Amino acid sequence: MRNIFSWVSIFLFMFLTSCSVEPEQINYGNDQCDFCKMGVVDKSHSAQYVTQKGKQFKFDAVECMIRKISDPAVKESELAYILVADYSNPGNMADAKTATFLVSKAIKSPMGAYLSAFSDNAVAVKTQEEVGGKVYNWEEIKKYIAK
Amino acid sequence: MKRAFIFLVFTCFYFGSYAKQIEVCPTCEVTTIAAGIAMAQKGDEVLIKEGTYKEHDLEVMTSIKLVGEGNPVIDGEQLGTILRVQTDSFSVEGISFINVGHSYTKDYAAILVVRSNHFRIAHNYLENVFFGILVEKSHYGVIEHNEVVGTKKSEANSGNGIHIWHSSDLKIRENKLHGMRDGLYFEFVDNAEIYNNLSFENIRYGLHFMFSNNDEYYNNRFTRNGAGVAVMFSKFIVMHHNRFEYNWGTASYGLLLKEIYDAEIYENIFEQNTIGINGEGSTRINYTNNQFLRNGWAVKITGACYDNIFLENDFSHNAFDLAFDGHLNGSKFDHNYWSDYTGYDLDKNGIGDVPYRPVKLFSYIVNRTPETIILLRSLFVDMINFSEKVSPVFTPDNLLDNHPLMVRPEVILE
Repeated sequence: MRNIFSWVSIFLFMFLTSCSVEPEQINYGNDQCDFCKMGVVDKSHSAQYVTQKGKQFKFDAVECMIRKISDPAVKESELAYILVADYSNPGNMADAKTATFLVSKAIKSPMGAYLSAFSDNAVAVKTQEEVGGKVYNWEEIKKYIAK
Repeated sequence: MKRAFIFLVFTCFYFGSYAKQIEVCPTCEVTTIAAGIAMAQKGDEVLIKEGTYKEHDLEVMTSIKLVGEGNPVIDGEQLGTILRVQTDSFSVEGISFINVGHSYTKDYAAILVVRSNHFRIAHNYLENVFFGILVEKSHYGVIEHNEVVGTKKSEANSGNGIHIWHSSDLKIRENKLHGMRDGLYFEFVDNAEIYNNLSFENIRYGLHFMFSNNDEYYNNRFTRNGAGVAVMFSKFIVMHHNRFEYNWGTASYGLLLKEIYDAEIYENIFEQNTIGINGEGSTRINYTNNQFLRNGWAVKITGACYDNIFLENDFSHNAFDLAFDGHLNGSKFDHNYWSDYTGYDLDKNGIGDVPYRPVKLFSYIVNRTPETIILLRSLFVDMINFSEKVSPVFTPDNLLDNHPLMVRPEVILE
C-alpha cells in the first residue's frame, strides 16, 4: 500500500512539475536577450514571455520583445505569459496586456526606443506629467514600435 | 620679431595674472570645494589639497580647472551625483571620487558632463560609483588615465564606467575600468577614438557601441568580461590591435557584431573565448590578419550576413574554426592559416595545394542541437567529419579557402 502511495506521489510530482508553465526569474547579468543577443542587466526595462509549452524567452528591453513578437513566426495567442518590467518598481514584472507604456525622451531604454512600462496606469500618467512623452496601451505600443 | 616676442610674453603675463588660483583644504580659508567653485571666475584654477571632502551635487558652470594635489578624496556618501559640469573648456584632474548614489530611475555619476566642448578629464580615481564618467551631448573632449572601479555586488545595481551619449570627436585613452556593467559604453557617438584602455571583469561588456558611426578603437585589452565587446547598429567602425581574451560562458564571445555595416577588423587577437567573433546581420566587414587562438568557435556567422571577407587570418587550435548558418552571400575566405589543415604544398610556394573546408559537419550539428557538444573529440565525430571532408554533402559547396597558408602569418601587436 505504502509502495503504491509513493509511486503515485512520484508520478504526481513529475506530472505537476513537468506541466507547469511558469515564467522563470530573469537571471540579471547572465541571461542573454533572445532578440538582440545583449546581456540582460536592466531591472527596470527587461521583458519576457513564456510559450504555452513552457519555453522561456527573455529580453533586455521591452522594444526587443515587441519586435520579436511582431515576427510572424511568433503567435501571440500561443504565449502563456507576456511580462514587462515595472519601471516604477524595479525587479518586478507586470502583465504586458494590462500595463501602461510610456515613450519619453527623458527615460532611456536599452535599445534606444525610450520605452518604459508601468503596472499602474496612474503612476505612468504621473511620470508622464513629470517628464513628458506619450502613454500607450499594449495594442498601441505594438503598432508604435512596428512603425 | 623680437618686439613681437616681448609683446607675446607680456600679454601672457598680463592675462596670466588674471587667472588666479583658489586653494581648498581643511585648514585653508576656503574649506569646501563648493565654496571654491563658487568663488572661481572664468579661467581660474581651484586647487584641492589633500583631505577628504564629504560633498555631492557640485556644479561647475564656468570654464575653470579643478586640480587635485596629494590625492584629495570627494566622498559623495551615496547621495547622488558628485560633480556636474556644464561649461566649455574645463578640466578635472587628479581627484578621487568615491561613493556615488545608486538609483533605478536617475543616472547618478561621479563626473557628469552635459553640453560641454573642449574638456579634459584626467588622472582621476573613481571607486564605488554608479556611473563613472557620464558624458551627454558634448564634443571635443579628452578622457585619459582614469581608473573606474565598480562594486560589482549586484549586477543590475551598477552603471557603466565611461558612458557617452549623443556626443562626438572624443579621445578616450589609457583608462582602466573594472567591476562595472559595461566598461565603456557609446550610444549615438561619432568620430570617437578609443585606445590603450584596459577593461576587465565587467558584468556585461568591456566595450559597447550602439548606434554609433565612424569610430575607431585600437590597442585595447578586454579580459574576462561577461562578453568582450559588442558593436551593434553601427557603421564604419574600425577595430584593430585589440586583445579579446578569456570571455568564457554559455553565451559569451570576444566580439559581437549585430546589425553593423562597413567595418574593418584587423590585427586583433582573440584568445580563449567561447566564441571569438559572433556575427549577425553584419555586412561588408573585412577581417584581415587577426589571430584566433584556442577559442570554442573562432568565428560564428549567423543569418543575414553579406560580403564578409576573411583574408590572412590565423586560426590556430580552435575547437571549431567556423560555424556558418545560411547562405554564403558573397562572403569569402582566402589566404588564411588553419591549424587543422592537413593538405600539402608540393610546389613550395607557401600555399596549400588542396583547398580547405573550414566548416566541419559536426559544427553544423552542434549549431542545430547544442547538447551534442558532448560528443566532441569522440571517434564517431572524427569519422563523420572525415567522410564529410572527402565528399561534402551538408556543408556549403563553395565555402572553402582555396589558398590556405602553410605557415602562420605574422600579427604585429603593440
